[in-house]
Amino acid sequence: MRPLPVADPGTPELRSAWRFIGWLMARQRASVLLGILWGCGWMIAQALVPAAIGAAVDALAAKNTSAFTLDCMAVLGLGAATAVTGVLRHRRVVANFLDAAYRIIQLISAHAARLGNTLARLLSTGEVISVGTADVEAVGGAIDMTGRGSGAIAALVVVAVILLSRSVPLGLVVLIGGPVMTALVGALLRPLHRRQQAYRGLQGQLASRAADIVAGLRVLRGIGGEAAFSARYRDQSQDLRHTGVHVARTESFLFSAEILLPGMFVTAATWIAAHYALHRAITPGQLVTFYAYTSFLALPLATLTEAADKLVRGHVGADRVIAILRLRPDITDPASPAREPGPGAALHDPVSGMTAAAGEFIGLAAADPGEAAELADRIGRYLPGTDPAGAVLGGVPVADLPVATVRSRILVAANDAHLFAGRLDEQLAGARPATERTTLAALSAASAHDVVEAVPGGLGGHLAARGRTLSGGQAQRLRLARALLAEPEVLVLVEPTSAVDAHTEARIASGLREARRNRTTVVVSNSPLLLDLADRVLFLRDGRVDAEGTHAELLSASPAYASAVTRGEP
Amino acid sequence: MTAPNEILPVATGAQVRAHVWQVLGTRWRELAAVVALYASATIAGLVPPSLLGGIVTDVQQGTTAGRIDLLAAGIAAALVVQAVLIRFGALAGAKLGEALLATFREDFIGGVLALPLSVVERAGSGDLLTRSSRDVSTLSVTARRGVPAMLTALLAVSLTLGAIALDSPLLVLPCLVVVPPVWGAARWYLRRATAGYLRENASWGVLTDSLAETVDGARTVEALRLGPARRDRTDADIAACWAAERYTLRLRTFFLPAAEASYILPLAGVLAFGGFAYLRGWCTLGQVTAGALYARALVAPMDELIMWLDYLQIGAASLARLLGLAQVPPDRQAGSARPADDRLRVTDVSHSYIPGHDVLRRISLAAEPGERIAIVGPSGAGKSTLGRLLAGITGPDRGEVAVGGVPLIELPLGDLRSQIALVTQEHHIFAGTLRDNLTLGMPDASDQAVLAALAAVDALGWAEELGLSSQVGSGGAALSAPQAQQVALARLILADPHTLVLDEATSLLDPRSARRLEQSLSAVLEGRTVLAIAHRLHTAHDADRVIVMEDGQISESGPHRELIAADGPYAALWRSWHGEARSGRPRQAGQPGEAVHDAVDKASSSAGSGG
Repeated sequence: MRPLPVADPGTPELRSAWRFIGWLMARQRASVLLGILWGCGWMIAQALVPAAIGAAVDALAAKNTSAFTLDCMAVLGLGAATAVTGVLRHRRVVANFLDAAYRIIQLISAHAARLGNTLARLLSTGEVISVGTADVEAVGGAIDMTGRGSGAIAALVVVAVILLSRSVPLGLVVLIGGPVMTALVGALLRPLHRRQQAYRGLQGQLASRAADIVAGLRVLRGIGGEAAFSARYRDQSQDLRHTGVHVARTESFLFSAEILLPGMFVTAATWIAAHYALHRAITPGQLVTFYAYTSFLALPLATLTEAADKLVRGHVGADRVIAILRLRPDITDPASPAREPGPGAALHDPVSGMTAAAGEFIGLAAADPGEAAELADRIGRYLPGTDPAGAVLGGVPVADLPVATVRSRILVAANDAHLFAGRLDEQLAGARPATERTTLAALSAASAHDVVEAVPGGLGGHLAARGRTLSGGQAQRLRLARALLAEPEVLVLVEPTSAVDAHTEARIASGLREARRNRTTVVVSNSPLLLDLADRVLFLRDGRVDAEGTHAELLSASPAYASAVTRGEP
Repeated sequence: MTAPNEILPVATGAQVRAHVWQVLGTRWRELAAVVALYASATIAGLVPPSLLGGIVTDVQQGTTAGRIDLLAAGIAAALVVQAVLIRFGALAGAKLGEALLATFREDFIGGVLALPLSVVERAGSGDLLTRSSRDVSTLSVTARRGVPAMLTALLAVSLTLGAIALDSPLLVLPCLVVVPPVWGAARWYLRRATAGYLRENASWGVLTDSLAETVDGARTVEALRLGPARRDRTDADIAACWAAERYTLRLRTFFLPAAEASYILPLAGVLAFGGFAYLRGWCTLGQVTAGALYARALVAPMDELIMWLDYLQIGAASLARLLGLAQVPPDRQAGSARPADDRLRVTDVSHSYIPGHDVLRRISLAAEPGERIAIVGPSGAGKSTLGRLLAGITGPDRGEVAVGGVPLIELPLGDLRSQIALVTQEHHIFAGTLRDNLTLGMPDASDQAVLAALAAVDALGWAEELGLSSQVGSGGAALSAPQAQQVALARLILADPHTLVLDEATSLLDPRSARRLEQSLSAVLEGRTVLAIAHRLHTAHDADRVIVMEDGQISESGPHRELIAADGPYAALWRSWHGEARSGRPRQAGQPGEAVHDAVDKASSSAGSGG
């Protein structure tokens, strides 16, 4: 068995759903071809059985015992061949299915990481998860179907050849009737396709609703409203149920047609064949062969119908997958990137007039914290578009630098940053390898030693997703330690101590100062404890730097500042 | 690496079967109709081979064209009957399946909504997400396709065997020969399969979980350049999933050929045995023909049976996970006693998460109606745990938290919420209208009441601009963190409990709007009991009474001014927060943090000796 996942899922073909499915198959061409080969062998072995039975009946009619024994052996041999090729096919197509499914998940996961903030704005997590599960399965199902689908076609050919060799007119009936029926079944599929799409849409919405309930469960259990949510879910669930019955109504006609069309077709053929047999144009055994294909033909034809269905589903799924993979980030690299400034670059924001010299520790207080947060986003280049008035690093507008360069040099540590599940030390280290010494130093600076103790197993223990087992203050200190451990050239901390008590905040303030010695740091906060430790405090009002100086200087010089940071208390 | 999540419980096979029977029992009429339709359709489908056997015998012995036409017309008629019955059977089956499916998923969500909170936190949302998406979807395929297919196949196999017996009882023998080996193989397989498929499903759960995290934390991934790390994580999860898939594939590699052999052996047996009998003159060629055709007709339903048996295992595993929620023991046992008054009393409460590590130690506390109490103290002092106990979300290990003399944990949830509500830092905006989000606990609230609540939390401006009927939450308009916080507070005002537990509810707001919010709140909360857990001391300043918690115990208690005058740990904290210790401190370039550090250390050591 091949090793999965592949190291590199490759660059997908996103021009259309079919091209995407084709691309997925081309990644594992040999294996898909083998799946088709085994599928054909499996179906052909089964397709030869009716002929063997017919021969056995003729041998019996002629009382030819040795020929009869041989025919019985042939039936057994074909059975063995079916069993062997069947399992080979199955192993092959399961691997092909998973290869495709895993590849898509790799692509979506990598793309989600690339899209960053853009994705959260455009799609809910539930929708992405629905694509990552149900649609991935649909696309994989379409690829899985190639083995049996091709086998079905091969079987139809074999049957046609056998019937033609017995009788040309009867063979022609099959050759013409078969495709006609497939086309008829295909015509029945079209309205089904539409309804299935509606069903899929509702199913996705229902999954999103469930995901929303799960995500907000703590809030719901606190304040109530379970009944309303349960009722809303029930309504949507019942809608889905009725749509499901609607789909089934169309489907039930399809099932019926799958029996009736091939059945009538071969009944007609058998009727004609019986007349041939009556006139001794064919033997009774051949008549049995003709008839046996009645029920047998239902198999390849049903398989073809299933293949059409799976392809339709796969197409719908692939459409939804490529819709996600086609999303482009709001923030893109400039067409012609500027030369990267050397290390030790000063940071300047023309819009607000903020400047931070290289290695400076700046406190940024604001009358309206929304403006401070926007400033942080501007410095970190998180605002969409190529704003000509964006921040400037070492004389170069950050908008003129590749996004990756900006991300590697400037870290905006937001307060709602996600803590990922995994080994605590690995999650703290993030993108860079960290030694235990540097990790402990960062934890110490963030006053987060006790947090490590709160995680069973300590640094080697498991951190739950979103730090759910931790308090708000503990999670915040872990985020801070992680940002410090990343050691970016420019670190912008947004309200890094909003959820910790005054005692801890004082420890963090001094630790932070020490950890960021000689490295550019902007702390967005209105906390007097943090601001008092900054080299320089800038006070932002109406989007501009309104006053600057030390915390003590500003307290006496700017009443607005004093009011913002002490909240006008006596 | 797999996450050592404490996975939520999974129902046992016996529980799943009992539940399915019980649910089917409530719909036995529909089930009987489906079975009857499918059975009739199958019988109609068994007519043609018999008629063809007749044709073969007739042709061999000489007959008329008219008789052949008649027999062919009979075959056609049987087909039409079969097709019509299939159509109605499939529809009736789908109606039943959709109804059952809706029941299962609605019951599941009902179970999710009834889960004890501590359990949800331990299991992580990924497991629940997988259950609600992948397992519901798997069950959907099982119910919509698998069960009808199994039913059809079972009927076909048994009725076909019956037809063979009618044709020639002798020919049933070779069909029964295969039963022991197939039964053995199926037993071997099914014994291992369930565990294998459960592991497979769990591995997909972990995979989905990571994907959800990558999406949820997309900005963090971008900021910290975690893309490669997330990729490694996905790859590791895929590798684990592939290992689980390979195991079940190996099981099928042994089982499927055995199953496949079971189709062909009856045919070869009937043919050889029948041929022998014909040559001895025990039966007609038509009987052998019909018998062989019936034996062949066993192949398709047997195949279907085996294929869906496999899938049914997966479906049963999903159902076991969905029904598993019912195994979570309830965290509260409602009694019949009702509170005599609105007095909240904590008596000698101790609580721990890990045995032997008490987070709270012998806390006692009483809140008078209308009193405003601030609970302060360093992180890890147990404030949030106390808040959860005060709000009746968790019951204490020892001691009692009661309102009007009734332990909170014995109040029905609806009653509890009309008494006490907890608002935390965690806020979630649900997908839906802004109104829906506000009236969570009070679905019948009038627009007037909703607007008044918004006005009270100073959110009327943006809310009216947005409109109460605007879609918010995922897929709708995004609200900022302060706006979400305001929504959370407005929800509380609408729910109108007499006691509120605020767990650092305003901490994510900037100090100025927190101030504004608290001012609006204090007007709205007039006459209500408020227990506010705060690390920002201004909340304490405004309270009637301040409770200082340290290391799981109450170290100080009293009004702000008294505590300041007492010059204990609270006074030290208050001074350090206000920066009074540093006023006039000369700025030293080298050691900027030292002076503060000293001040705080002193405060903490005095707190230690005083507590």
